[in-house]
Amino acid sequence: MSVLFAIATGIMFGMGIYQLLRRDLIKAAFGFYILFTAINLFLLAAGAFEGTVPAYVDEQGRVVGGTSSDPLVQALILTAIVISFGTYTLLLSFIVLASRRFRTVDSDEIDDLIR
Amino acid sequence: MDIALAIGLPFALAAAAMPLSRRLSAPALGSLMATVLVALFLFFVTYAPTISAGAVERSFEWVPSLKLNLTFYLDGLALLFALIVTGVGALVMLYTGSYFESPEQAGRFLMLMMAFSGAMLGVVLAGNVLTLFIAWELTSVISFLLIGFKGKERSARVGAMMALIVTGSGGLALLLGLMFVGAVAGSYEISAILNSGNVLRDHAAFVPIVILLMLGAFTKSAQFPFHFWLPNAMAAPTPASAFLHSATMVKAGVYLLLRFYPVLGNNDLWTGGLLTIGMLTMFIGAFWAIRQRDLKACLAFSTVSWLGALVALIGLPSSYGLMAALVGILAHALYKGALFLIAGAVDHSVGTRNLDELGGLQAKMRGFAVATGIAALSMAGVPPLFGFVAKEVLLKAMEKSPAADVLLGVVTFAAALTVTMALILFWDVFMGKYRVQVSSGSAHESHTHSNSAHADQSHHHNAPFPMLLAPSTLAVGSILFSFLIDPIVKPLVESALGKPIKLYLLPSELDRAFQLSLLALGIGFVIFLARRYWLSLRLPALPSGPQVYRAILNSIDAFGDLLLRLQNGKIRFYLLFMLSALILFVIASGIVEPSRWARLNISFRDAADMLKIVLLIISLVATFASILIKRHILAALSLGVAGYSIGGLFLLEPAPDVALVQFLVETLSTVLIILILAKTSTKEREKVINRTERSLRHPKVWRDIAISSAIGGLVTFLAVAAVVNRPSRQSVAEWHLENALRLTGINDVAAAIITDFRGIDTMIEITVFGMASVAVYTLLTRPPAGKIWRRLQRGNHLEVTETEPAELTVNTTPRISTPLTRFGALLVLPFSALIAIGQILYASSAPGDGFTAGVVLGLGVAVWYVVFGYQETKRRLPWLSSRFFVSAGLALAFTNGALPFIFGREFGAITLLKDLNLPAGLKFSSTTLFEIGICLTVLGGICAIMEAIASPKEVEAEEKRKTQTVEIPKVEEVEKL
Repeated sequence: MSVLFAIATGIMFGMGIYQLLRRDLIKAAFGFYILFTAINLFLLAAGAFEGTVPAYVDEQGRVVGGTSSDPLVQALILTAIVISFGTYTLLLSFIVLASRRFRTVDSDEIDDLIR
Repeated sequence: MDIALAIGLPFALAAAAMPLSRRLSAPALGSLMATVLVALFLFFVTYAPTISAGAVERSFEWVPSLKLNLTFYLDGLALLFALIVTGVGALVMLYTGSYFESPEQAGRFLMLMMAFSGAMLGVVLAGNVLTLFIAWELTSVISFLLIGFKGKERSARVGAMMALIVTGSGGLALLLGLMFVGAVAGSYEISAILNSGNVLRDHAAFVPIVILLMLGAFTKSAQFPFHFWLPNAMAAPTPASAFLHSATMVKAGVYLLLRFYPVLGNNDLWTGGLLTIGMLTMFIGAFWAIRQRDLKACLAFSTVSWLGALVALIGLPSSYGLMAALVGILAHALYKGALFLIAGAVDHSVGTRNLDELGGLQAKMRGFAVATGIAALSMAGVPPLFGFVAKEVLLKAMEKSPAADVLLGVVTFAAALTVTMALILFWDVFMGKYRVQVSSGSAHESHTHSNSAHADQSHHHNAPFPMLLAPSTLAVGSILFSFLIDPIVKPLVESALGKPIKLYLLPSELDRAFQLSLLALGIGFVIFLARRYWLSLRLPALPSGPQVYRAILNSIDAFGDLLLRLQNGKIRFYLLFMLSALILFVIASGIVEPSRWARLNISFRDAADMLKIVLLIISLVATFASILIKRHILAALSLGVAGYSIGGLFLLEPAPDVALVQFLVETLSTVLIILILAKTSTKEREKVINRTERSLRHPKVWRDIAISSAIGGLVTFLAVAAVVNRPSRQSVAEWHLENALRLTGINDVAAAIITDFRGIDTMIEITVFGMASVAVYTLLTRPPAGKIWRRLQRGNHLEVTETEPAELTVNTTPRISTPLTRFGALLVLPFSALIAIGQILYASSAPGDGFTAGVVLGLGVAVWYVVFGYQETKRRLPWLSSRFFVSAGLALAFTNGALPFIFGREFGAITLLKDLNLPAGLKFSSTTLFEIGICLTVLGGICAIMEAIASPKEVEAEEKRKTQTVEIPKVEEVEKL
């Protein structure tokens, strides 16, 4: 199963890179967002085991009601999501700034302007 | 008192200097610092009897894994230097108090000077070569700050950079050399290295070690060809020149050579290197010194000359050379320190240090004239002053050297030039006709006096008493030391040298050294008389040090420009580089081996897996759709679909905490992107949409597809390889599961990892998030600034289109603000607050935690900004301060991390109150504090972002911009850029 996740990660990563390469800055920011998602997906796939219940433990330190998935990657993804959001916002505000300064959101046009 | 405290004390006073300068006058502050250094001086004196029995060592562990110890080692050599640092330092501090008029300037200067005293003591007392290096670099950095003290002047900036680059590069060589020494000798402790005997000399790395240490010493002690930084360092205020660039710091190189002489010295490489460079430096310094017209430049070059003599002496194979060097260090510290301080006083009083403008000052500055007379005589080496003793032993040592005749010739000639210099310094400043004419271009130092000096051309300003006291004390020292050779100088030098010496004031017979000394006096006097003649001579232009230095810097710049050509700003270019590097790594890592792929299999367990596959496909299709869709807003929504599907995957994992955050953040992101899109002009966006090549017939599309498929393929390969080869259940996660409840009292293991096991990670992550939000706020609310932007604006290169006012809907009353939505928004905030509180309270046993609580509250706030707009939200929610939330949240998180300190544990090591169970399944422990901190930081960050996006400040900036006239760019101007 996790192999499928890994393959999906790669496909999504490629799509993100394609968006990054386009001249449209807003689409490029979307590209970053796709990359963030792809990486979270990869973290999930890299979790060391596949479980059936959430990782809640009882007094004896046993998972309640079966086996759980890897809680470590969950913690990593959880913080990564929030950080990605912060980064994404920062990227978007850069684009707003670029649009204000150069009156365009076309990276090729900005290239010509500052050259 | 402890040696370590003795080094810490000057640093402590340095820290106190600025606050104290607000309460104390400058002279009082200077006296205070001087008193402390005198106390340290006396403290070191008390060690004199102790160390004759053996060195004192004091060691603290610092970074044991790097063998880096904070060791202090006090032997005779260290003591001699420590006494010079504290003794000269005390006088200079006293002098400084009167040198600066404004307490603020004096405070800033004394802060640096005291820090330097501490660093210099660190250099000479270091007992571990790595400690030595750190202190050494610290002196370089403080020297940089002192040279650049008057940072508004170009010469100060250039001189400071030059000194830092030259001594800093030497410092790197030194570090490498010291690491070699440590590796070969098997210890970084100086005591162990000194006891290693011939281990270093016999090792294959001996030659590189010596050359690297020499580079360190030569750059620091301004030896040819690195000498040029020292005259340029004269841009520093004079007390700093007297202290750092004459008496102490420049002698650090000499100290280093003396320190390692027992294990590195006395062989052909050492002798040859030090003698050649030392003698060259001595001659060049003396030659250039007499041709300078700036008093401080004269002193700087003559310092270079004397440093050369010291280095040459250490190169000699006999211990007599070392003795001569130690005597020379003492003599030089006394007379050159005095002369520097007097030069500063002259500048302070008459506003110039140009020899062409000076003369006849003896009538007005009698005390200074006398002190200068004594110091100059000592410099010239006239008996019975201490400088004479130093010159005698220098000549005698050279007599015993290989190639004695040549060396004696050079030394005698350099000594003659030194005599000339001393005479010029005394006669041309204090004797002759009084002719001080302050011109506007003169190099006066004290800003406070320049104005009055300009107003009255012949204005004379009496230097305060401490400014006379300090150099006079040093000058008197030059007399006293001659007569106190037996009680003071001899024991001091003997303990530094470790063996008995013969040293006396006057030679018993008219030996060769004495004859040469007299000869030097005679020649020097003749050259002095003929100065009118040779000053008018023009010398052939040779490439000077600063020119070479600039040429080197320029070539580095050129190389940088060359590298910069690779940085063409095209992402695809960078990606191709990274991709090729990655492919190389993959091949080298051996992942491609077939044996690693044995465990590759795709199996399905149950219906949930089928659902996962469906969700994966939905997310991929939605992502792909977002690429194909032209309109930004629809593409963003399509991405939202992908994000929610991923959230569904998290839910099926099952990872309810993560899923919750994913859903919430996805919602927030979608809101955000819509607001941002409303902020950018539709025209701009439509233009770029229409320009983007999307037909498969277009070569650019194919190029991008090729690059992204290559990268995507590689990532797929790596991801699959990682998943197939991952560790199974023995990972650390298993440990987390077993110990979560026991160690943290939290049932939810993911939450336990976030708040405790990897709590410091989380703390740093919310800090990053907080910073990102502050950055967004700053970027969006400040008017555009920056060099490029201003230049673009001035040139009016931009074809500015009018912004449609309709685009800025967020800032005026929003269109969606209907009674119904307003009512909804009013309800949303209290509800989200309730949910957030619940999530924090039950974070340990139910889905949801500080992050989700923060995002939920943030969503509530976002709704307000969307519905009510900026002004109304600000008015109705005055308590909504993003800055307060972020700082309070981070403060709580750090407090939680610091709590274990109470129990003597490391930062973030344990959870407190983990077993405190409250009714209704509630728990309260120190991690609850952390959860609240996370929640507040996230909330504050979101508030900052929302506020920035909704902020009307930006509208003002936009409107201001519109009023500017706009021209079509001209071709020449574009090319200029």
